[in-house]
Amino acid sequence: MAQFSPVTGRYVTIDVLGDECKVFFLENGEGQPLVCQHTAGCHNHQWRDLLEDEEITRNYRVIAYDLARHGKSDPPKNREWWKEEYRLTADYYTAFIVAFCDALELEDPIFMGSSFGGNVALQLALRHPDRFKAVIPVEAAEYSPGFFLDWWQHPQANAAQVCASGVWDLMAPQSPEKDRWATWFYYSQGSEAFRGDLYFYSVDHDLRGKLDQIDGEKCPVIMLTGDYDYLTTPEDSQRTADQIKGGEFIEMKGIGHFPMSENYPLFKRYLQQALQRIENRTGG
Amino acid sequence: MSQRTETAERWVEDFRRVTNEDPEIQAHGKYFSCSFLLDMEQSRFLVKMHEGKVEEILTNPGPLDERYQFALRASAETWRKFGEEVPEPMYHGIWSASFQRDLRLEGDLLVLMQNLRCFTRQFELLRQIGVPV
Repeated sequence: MAQFSPVTGRYVTIDVLGDECKVFFLENGEGQPLVCQHTAGCHNHQWRDLLEDEEITRNYRVIAYDLARHGKSDPPKNREWWKEEYRLTADYYTAFIVAFCDALELEDPIFMGSSFGGNVALQLALRHPDRFKAVIPVEAAEYSPGFFLDWWQHPQANAAQVCASGVWDLMAPQSPEKDRWATWFYYSQGSEAFRGDLYFYSVDHDLRGKLDQIDGEKCPVIMLTGDYDYLTTPEDSQRTADQIKGGEFIEMKGIGHFPMSENYPLFKRYLQQALQRIENRTGG
Repeated sequence: MSQRTETAERWVEDFRRVTNEDPEIQAHGKYFSCSFLLDMEQSRFLVKMHEGKVEEILTNPGPLDERYQFALRASAETWRKFGEEVPEPMYHGIWSASFQRDLRLEGDLLVLMQNLRCFTRQFELLRQIGVPV
């Protein structure tokens, strides 16, 4: 008897500021939509354990997509994308996510993303508080400079290994070795998009002086950050949450920048706290 | 022989052994050939790698011996924390420590990046054998 996963994959074509994007997504579960964004230069398989978690999917429809140019999602179909340097912007990124949620006709989805996905969660809370029930920015801050580097695509270095090993110690050393290596493996696959993603992460995403415009009462913002994250430290996330009206922060102990893929059982405990707080604040 | 010298010599042999016996480095280190300096404030070690094996380790090399390609420099305290079995946050890797603590990466960093996978693994072997400072 074959062991089929309950997770299913489909494509949907969406319009993103004129770009025709054929987007691949995985999903499982019923109930409250929980939309999950992978980290920069990566893909939706980072959410593999959440997607198959029976306890969570009993009440949540978990949806994890590949951003255009990542995983099984191609670059825009109607544009000569190869004639431009890829630099992801906050305008494009947020438009992509809203278009995706609209295409799936999701009502009041909760948005969760890690790293550049966490930073865009803050952008969504600022720009589209009516479109999302709540956001869970993971490993996020109002500003995260320093990672838009040419190293990632240097022709004299092995980009796959530089990207994967360059982010290796964003993970906690005590996270399970097989899961750290799975995360490393994902990063060896995404080197071409990684640098362009980091343009958003370290340059275009800059909410300094704007956090007071986020209404965390209307759209709860529950931030989660691991103490082994050297890029966005718990202090960075705490400082960010403190400036958001109704913003909350939970420090995750013993875990790093890729919590959902480097140590899911530990991450789950903190995620459940965040989901419970959202339920408490929004009435389920 | 002073105790410090004895400790350094034992560490050199341990570092050679765990590197040369490490399945990961030996599986991926065919082109891991470079030389680097580990500056631990109180002692310095020049490590010469050849095809994934330790060719030579010089302890406290003199100025004319120092032909290495890149260097890692940090306080002895930082190196001691690198060598703990489960290092505390920010002492768990060369990037975390260079972003958030006092580790400095110097020299021809392209060589470091060309060998990043194997070098990262070798650095983490310090958690097995500790550091001699």
